[in-house]
Amino acid sequence: MLLEINDLDITYGDNTPTVENVKLSLNEGEILTIVGESGSGKTTVIRSILGLLSGDGHVSKGTLNFKGRDLKALSLKEWRELRGKDISMIFQDSGNMLNPVQTIGHQFREYIQLHSDMSDSEADAKAVEILKRMHLPNAENILSSYAFELSGGMRQRVGIAMAITFHPQLLLADEPTSALDVTTQAQIVKELMQVVKESGTAMIMVTHNLGVASYMSDKLMVMAGGRVLEYGNAKDILTNPQSDYTKTLLASVPTIGGKRYV
Amino acid sequence: MSEQNNTNDCLMSIEHITKEFKLSDGNVLRACNDICIDIPKGKTTAIVGESGCGKSTLVKTIMGIHEPTSGRVMFHGQDITKLSNKEKRQNYRHIQMVFQDPATAFNPKMKVKDLICEPLRSFGIISKGEVEERAKELLRQVDLPVEFVNRYPHSMSGGQRQRVAIARALALEPEVIVCDEATSALDVSVQDSIIKLLVKLQQEKGITYIFICHDLALVSLFSHKVVVMQKGTVMEQLDGDKLAESTHPYTRDLLNAVFSVH
Repeated sequence: MLLEINDLDITYGDNTPTVENVKLSLNEGEILTIVGESGSGKTTVIRSILGLLSGDGHVSKGTLNFKGRDLKALSLKEWRELRGKDISMIFQDSGNMLNPVQTIGHQFREYIQLHSDMSDSEADAKAVEILKRMHLPNAENILSSYAFELSGGMRQRVGIAMAITFHPQLLLADEPTSALDVTTQAQIVKELMQVVKESGTAMIMVTHNLGVASYMSDKLMVMAGGRVLEYGNAKDILTNPQSDYTKTLLASVPTIGGKRYV
Repeated sequence: MSEQNNTNDCLMSIEHITKEFKLSDGNVLRACNDICIDIPKGKTTAIVGESGCGKSTLVKTIMGIHEPTSGRVMFHGQDITKLSNKEKRQNYRHIQMVFQDPATAFNPKMKVKDLICEPLRSFGIISKGEVEERAKELLRQVDLPVEFVNRYPHSMSGGQRQRVAIARALALEPEVIVCDEATSALDVSVQDSIIKLLVKLQQEKGITYIFICHDLALVSLFSHKVVVMQKGTVMEQLDGDKLAESTHPYTRDLLNAVFSVH
């Protein structure tokens, strides 16, 4: 088992827990998608796996085990080695993650050298190779660009490229395609699937696009109000939802050729 | 889906609109290229296409935010792209807009009642003493509790804020409401409820919608007319209920990019 979470409660400040009783497990190469409305705690769950809860958020109960290691007991130094290498993250808009006043190449090289002892030219060559894997044309040009010079789709590919550089065993993705339009979304989803399958990376993705969830996931978790309503095989849940909330959610997905309102 | 007899009743006609921008390198970017669209009265016209296809430029031209390079937009026998500032202001009584992200569209320091009634106050239609009553009436129309009049935008969810944005757009009883990606930032179930609300209001008041969107599955459910744009040009115009049957290669590409749940 790559990742095992049991009885997880997450609390912000001294309030009642925001997220309660989350249990999940993930094998190598498996893809789990967490769906649910804004505020249901999806992002809180994946942030806790990376030890990156915002503000005074903390794990108030339960266990998080990654490859048999207790994530709650890691020192800052151990976290630093783990993050970005064994576990990495893709954000909704990778443009926000990038420093606006440094070139993409500068940041990419810095990131690679933080986790390896490559020389400048080796790191650059590595960056070019990864960018090409994400189907980015003119990878050399992209390295000399600033984030604002790229389109949303290109920035997102750069973000994914960086996240997969060290073949992480676990990739966390927070709404990786929500800011993109349909055609770019379709390309990125397919590219992401391909790289994940090739390198046997396990992934936990947060999304509110059930179509994307259905296409990508092995497992599915439905959350509402900080609780897990359903968890299990994605196909089973999508074809035979148990909770009323999941049924409503599925009924709200617009489909081409679906029932028209006018 | 019936009522085909009124579809020829044209409220606004966009005639040969071309908009060019001068780029810093001296080149010219043609964002809209000879666009002709008839907007049927009391119906929903959806404009779809990828980022950068010129949807928003077209809307800004209709709203008088910038002047077209050539062409005109006829509304009640008047070319609304050539209005003086004073006439433009009066014209906004008939054309209102709902934006993608109501969190950034509202002044955070204003209460809901003042936000909703600001257009009425600035046209001198109601007095200060009437604000609360009118705001409550408008909140009822968008199915929000009347107690919301004294709230601030930050203490509401995204879906509730978007309802307030719709209430504000309704305040002046406009003939046309332009929705620029009005539901893209919302979760599917919330999106569904907002679309139902828009359809209900249209049936009650005969409002004409111009709906900018990149989600084809969504527009196929409630629009009477769909205009597909690519790179500043109209590729195809068809009836909303015929979208799935389109044979145009670009429209097919867009349709195929939608992930379905099953």
